[in-house]
Amino acid sequence: MNQTIKNKIMVFGIAATLGIISLFCWFKPHTDYSDSERRVLAKFPALTMDTVANGKFMKEFETYTLDQFPLRDTFRGLKSFSSLYLMRQSDVNDLTITNGYVAKTEYPANEAMLENAGKKFRYLYDTYMKDSNVNLYFSIVPDKNYYTSIKSDSLSMDYEMLVDTMKKQTDYMKYIDLFQVLSIRDYYRTDTHWKQENILPVAIVLADVMGATLSMNYEKIQLEEPFYGVYYGQLALPLSPDTITYMTNETLESCVVTDYNSGKPVTIPMYDLSKATAKDPYELFVGGNTPLVTIENPLATTDKELVIFRDSFTSSLAPLLATGYSKVTLVDIRYINSGMLGNFIEFDNQDVLFLYSTLVLNSSTILK
Amino acid sequence: MIFSSIPFLYYFLPAVLLLYFCVPKRLKNLVLLLSSLFFYGWGEPKYVVIMSISIVVGFVLGHLIEVFRGKGLSKVFLILSVVAAVCMLGYFKYMDFFITNINAVTGLSLPLLKIALPIGISFYLFQILSYTVDVYRGTVPAQRNIIHFGAYVACFPQLIAGPIVRYSDIALQLENRNHTFEKTAYGIRRFIMGLSKKVLLANALGELCDIFRASDDKSVLFYWLYAISFTLHIYFDFSGYSDMAIGLGKIFGFDFIENFNHPYVSKSITEFWRRWHISLGSWFRDYVYIPLGGNRVSKGRWFLNILTVWMLTGFWHGASWNFIVWGLLYAAFLVFEKLFLSKYLKTSKVWCHIYVMLIVCFGFVIFNATDLGEALQYLGAMFGAGSIPFVSTEFTYYLGSFGFILLLSIVGSTPLPKIIINKLSGIKDGMGERILYVAEPLVTVILLFIVTAYLVDGSFNPFLYFRF
Repeated sequence: MNQTIKNKIMVFGIAATLGIISLFCWFKPHTDYSDSERRVLAKFPALTMDTVANGKFMKEFETYTLDQFPLRDTFRGLKSFSSLYLMRQSDVNDLTITNGYVAKTEYPANEAMLENAGKKFRYLYDTYMKDSNVNLYFSIVPDKNYYTSIKSDSLSMDYEMLVDTMKKQTDYMKYIDLFQVLSIRDYYRTDTHWKQENILPVAIVLADVMGATLSMNYEKIQLEEPFYGVYYGQLALPLSPDTITYMTNETLESCVVTDYNSGKPVTIPMYDLSKATAKDPYELFVGGNTPLVTIENPLATTDKELVIFRDSFTSSLAPLLATGYSKVTLVDIRYINSGMLGNFIEFDNQDVLFLYSTLVLNSSTILK
Repeated sequence: MIFSSIPFLYYFLPAVLLLYFCVPKRLKNLVLLLSSLFFYGWGEPKYVVIMSISIVVGFVLGHLIEVFRGKGLSKVFLILSVVAAVCMLGYFKYMDFFITNINAVTGLSLPLLKIALPIGISFYLFQILSYTVDVYRGTVPAQRNIIHFGAYVACFPQLIAGPIVRYSDIALQLENRNHTFEKTAYGIRRFIMGLSKKVLLANALGELCDIFRASDDKSVLFYWLYAISFTLHIYFDFSGYSDMAIGLGKIFGFDFIENFNHPYVSKSITEFWRRWHISLGSWFRDYVYIPLGGNRVSKGRWFLNILTVWMLTGFWHGASWNFIVWGLLYAAFLVFEKLFLSKYLKTSKVWCHIYVMLIVCFGFVIFNATDLGEALQYLGAMFGAGSIPFVSTEFTYYLGSFGFILLLSIVGSTPLPKIIINKLSGIKDGMGERILYVAEPLVTVILLFIVTAYLVDGSFNPFLYFRF
């Protein structure tokens, strides 16, 4: 092979690569939604004299070309691969892989956010619970990084400070420690959340402190559909998917679950299996992310009720706790204004549990 | 528009190349001019007018200088072109700096104009100035075709971040240039190598600098890591851009001046400035330093000339005191080397290299500071001032996470990769060359894919030298 042939190979090779990708860029049908990132993708921007003159068109066109790039997820995967394995970086977009578990680096702990969460809880206490006969409990769900950072030396927030700060902010509640109950194996490998089939010990620890007795016997049903968690899409690497297993028994099957999301009570299944193939399969647990849900247990041997102020981790935990109460009310103040709760819940003679993940506490402005 | 973006790589560039190579020779400069104006207008639509006016003014004054050559008017038109360029730079780039300093000195409260800096204005005005000065000196004849002249000034490959291409260097190529497979293949290689330097190394190092700035866990070693990272970042960012510009130039048939020659292997500051931003250094040498008398004057005047040139070099980079101090720092060391340092530098290859890198590192800390106060604070912190710990958790983590990129960057900033490739091609029986024949196009395509992956995953990533 002589120099001329080499030059021709270079020119035609790059021209073909550029040309083919360009043709796809120009003529590929638009994609509306990215399943892997769970977001709507940018559309071709409005082309007017004004948008061109003020530069808006050009800015939005850039976003459009990135969002609509052919084989976008494959290229994103190539980037993750290059960063982690060629450039030997410890994380990609703050995501780390430790022994097959993908975790997001939540760092550093933000004291202002923790204080804000404390203030929000204090407001709820002062407004609804101070003068009522309720037992108050507070617990924190550690994020995966708590466990992976020990093994990978990745950055992690000061969990001790976080717990101490929150305990000080909520000194009117009894704190229940979950950090020592869990391990990384109790979480999905590709998702933020914990696995329901592994968190019965968590439910037992909580129930013991709150004086409730839970069912111990469950049937574990594993879904056939693969579960690609939220980190799977963000990392875009070809990791093997998780599977979702849910736990049920006669008590849970008899429970009545009511969702108040639409403003009217709507009965929903405890486990909505139709969501197993939806964009976020974790939403199959108790209606997923919804502001207000009740679980009534007709087979309960007690008239005790439980109110849980919660985030998405509680969705899979609540059914297990429901076996020990006559009624469990789940309140997610990320989706309902705290000032409106009096219209829906009467606080009287209940156990009230504030159960929040470190992720939400450290970004507490999302609490309304 | 920037080179390291999807709109440029997969929309603009293929369309322009297709058009450029399809049209007859006489229309190629028109395609280049129009596409360059589109390229410029993409980022700054309103400033296309300013650039167009600059082209017309430069073209007309060049002509008038030639028409009145040998007469007083020729000098008047040259002065007019210098004044026009200085006024434009003064208004768009330096006005707020002057107002701020006037306010500080007089206690007045003159309002700032807050004018957005037209991208690349420092580069294209310097190119126009070099043209009018060269026409006045009789080095080159005035260009008679405004399309050719416009294509020279607006030429998108080097429009916004150099190298500063002198008209005299490409005057012939503007009217008659050839396009060969050899030149195009070289251009492609150079362009993709530059693109990779920018996207894979410079952006990562820039990210590390941003992480440092945002960190609440700074330590002495973290300050050093920042200083080293920024020193490498600016090199790969700017030299990467120059590589892309030179590569694109080759594809369009031009031979642009080299802008970098492994500056971090220099053994003196004098050598460093022969290897760093060569087109700017030689511009100031030929159009400021030598007209001031260069070194053919008294010693005192000579040092004054050096100070003037380096103060202007610093000021060219930005309207802030830290840029001026950065320029003067180099002036001081250039003078020291001329006076006494050079004889000591020759005694040890290691120490002279450490000396150069320390000055360059400290210089870039000053360069990248938001103001002089921050520059002093950063330099102090590198030596433990400010009650900060020696080492911190974040330093340890990010050193580990960016360690390989830093190592790759340090090696990549030396001639070592080039030496290895040359050795490989020299292997007996042509085996090395045969390997390179296959590896070179393959690696180029792989790099293009990886860079594309980084761009698709990332967002807007402007070049540092855009602000100049």
